[in-house]
Amino acid sequence: MKRPIFWVLAVAMLAVLMILGVSWGTVPLTPRAVLAALAGHGDRNAIEIVRALRLPRVALAALVGAGLGVSGAALQGSLRNALAEPYLLGVSGGAAVGAVIGVALGFSSAIALPLFAFAGAAAAIATAILIARAAGGRADPRVLLMAGVIIGAFANAAIMVVLSGAPANTMRSALWWMMGSAAAADWPQVAWLAGYTVLAGGALLWFSRDIDILALGEESATALGVDAERAGRRVFLVSSLLAAATVAAAGLVGFVGLVVPHLVRAAGIRRHRALLPGAALAGASLVVLADLVARVAHPPAELPLGAVTALVGVPFFLVQLRRLS
Amino acid sequence: MASSAFVLWRALAHGHLLPGTVPFVRCARAVPVLALCVVACRAASPRRDAVSADDFGEPVARGSAATPSRIVSLMPATTELLFAIGAGPRVVGRTPWDLWSDSARRVADVGVGLRPNIEAVLARRPDLVLLYATGENRAAAQALRAAGVAVIALRIDRVEDFRRAARLIGMATGDSARAAAVVDSVDRTLARVRSRTAGLPRPTVFWHVWDAPIITIARGSFLDELLTIAGGRNIYEDLSQPSPQVSLEDIVRRDPDVILAGPDGAARIRASATWRSVRAVREGHVLVVDTSLIGHPSVRMGEAATVLAHLLHPAVVQ
Repeated sequence: MKRPIFWVLAVAMLAVLMILGVSWGTVPLTPRAVLAALAGHGDRNAIEIVRALRLPRVALAALVGAGLGVSGAALQGSLRNALAEPYLLGVSGGAAVGAVIGVALGFSSAIALPLFAFAGAAAAIATAILIARAAGGRADPRVLLMAGVIIGAFANAAIMVVLSGAPANTMRSALWWMMGSAAAADWPQVAWLAGYTVLAGGALLWFSRDIDILALGEESATALGVDAERAGRRVFLVSSLLAAATVAAAGLVGFVGLVVPHLVRAAGIRRHRALLPGAALAGASLVVLADLVARVAHPPAELPLGAVTALVGVPFFLVQLRRLS
Repeated sequence: MASSAFVLWRALAHGHLLPGTVPFVRCARAVPVLALCVVACRAASPRRDAVSADDFGEPVARGSAATPSRIVSLMPATTELLFAIGAGPRVVGRTPWDLWSDSARRVADVGVGLRPNIEAVLARRPDLVLLYATGENRAAAQALRAAGVAVIALRIDRVEDFRRAARLIGMATGDSARAAAVVDSVDRTLARVRSRTAGLPRPTVFWHVWDAPIITIARGSFLDELLTIAGGRNIYEDLSQPSPQVSLEDIVRRDPDVILAGPDGAARIRASATWRSVRAVREGHVLVVDTSLIGHPSVRMGEAATVLAHLLHPAVVQ
């Protein structure tokens, strides 16, 4: 695919999906009613549905997808591993432990839970870096990867233990959160996630040349005058924190960080300065679409977002695989 | 991580919501299978009358022959019932959620009532165990019977289920007369509340059970019945499950006049920005219900209906 076509398609697709996401939902509204509601006219309930529920929700889904896409692309490049993604590296496990501890302590509000999740994710990231450092101090991405996986396994076990004695509703909340959902989106949440995404995404874009060089291997990096260990750690830290912020906002939304970078690379985009924004656009599209499916598939119930991203994303991935082979 | 969570999620979607109270998103496919099984069991023993079989289709022995002296009750509804019919002193085990009456609190806690810990139950040396009739408890019922303990499995979701459970338990414990009196008293109170609210305007109600995900009460639950008796109209009375998951957008569309929630839930709703989309929240019509009273389909349903009627029609019902 030619580069310019990719960008036009990616932007157009995200725009179309976001418009669909605002105009379609559990409650059927005509396009005219949606436009009127956007302008603040017409039925009060329609205005509330479109402006207070759907708009922030679509915005949050787009930000979550963008953050996970960028984070996955940066991690896959800097760790030179096609399977690297924020969740595999212990971020999800740490965040989930944080959230479950919060719930178990009785803090199940939409304000407190993300803080616990973020603290848990940050602790997991710090532990992974410490383990990698203790294992010889060399910039070995494999050690970092292994540390992340092991922390994830430990976290999973800890969650099972904490939840085994929990009342059913607490358990249901914790699981709902572990499956991801954009249902509780509101503007303050969108604002702070936007802040994180812009800051961390900007920083990763700033490091994009380093990531390109890290992707070539440690020796080439040293030859090119890049401190591979420091650069690798920096990228790991920033991309993990970005993923942790998305987890705090919408719970665990799997699959995006793993697959979206591959989709964008398959479109012929390899340099990280282009790959990162490309992954942001594609990730945003995937999660906005998945959230739409989650809302309309089985009304008035909602499906867990994390499951739908995989259901929606796998066909795209298979098409790309066929094209490659 | 995600996949194991999904497995758990599936397990939960078919599992309990409030243990022993408002259960089950029913598995559509399991219903005909279960029905077939019941038909088959009935066909195999045509002489058994419907009243003396429990909800797993197993026969219930009459208490006159061997009155159980040590009973473990694994759901709040039956624990409340046992204490109400005077069998309380014979209750030797309960779940962590069986907290009424005060004397029930002093009974040993044997752990949860779904997939119960068989060893902990047997350690109480029971001669009768009452548990919730769900697929998850089938193995436990078999294991207890194999250990020589009588088991009555009951699916108490609706008011009628309570009447039937009371008859069965009264028969099994030898307290039939008192069980009938308890059912009568509940029925009389419900009838009184119903007549008091008849003819009043019926506010539409959203019943908030949980907020992540949003869970409500629908036609399959006794709470929906109590709401109707108390002079309200559930906005989700068209859904057949006891406790379905719904979306906020759909609640806005159904536009309830009143929201009922527990103390914590009400506080969270009032503090939330997204819940302000619902007219009842903007207008301050979030009413707090005492979840410890209005949680179980049991002997206090009359009292619960009275409290609900007072909440919805404060001027008319005292």
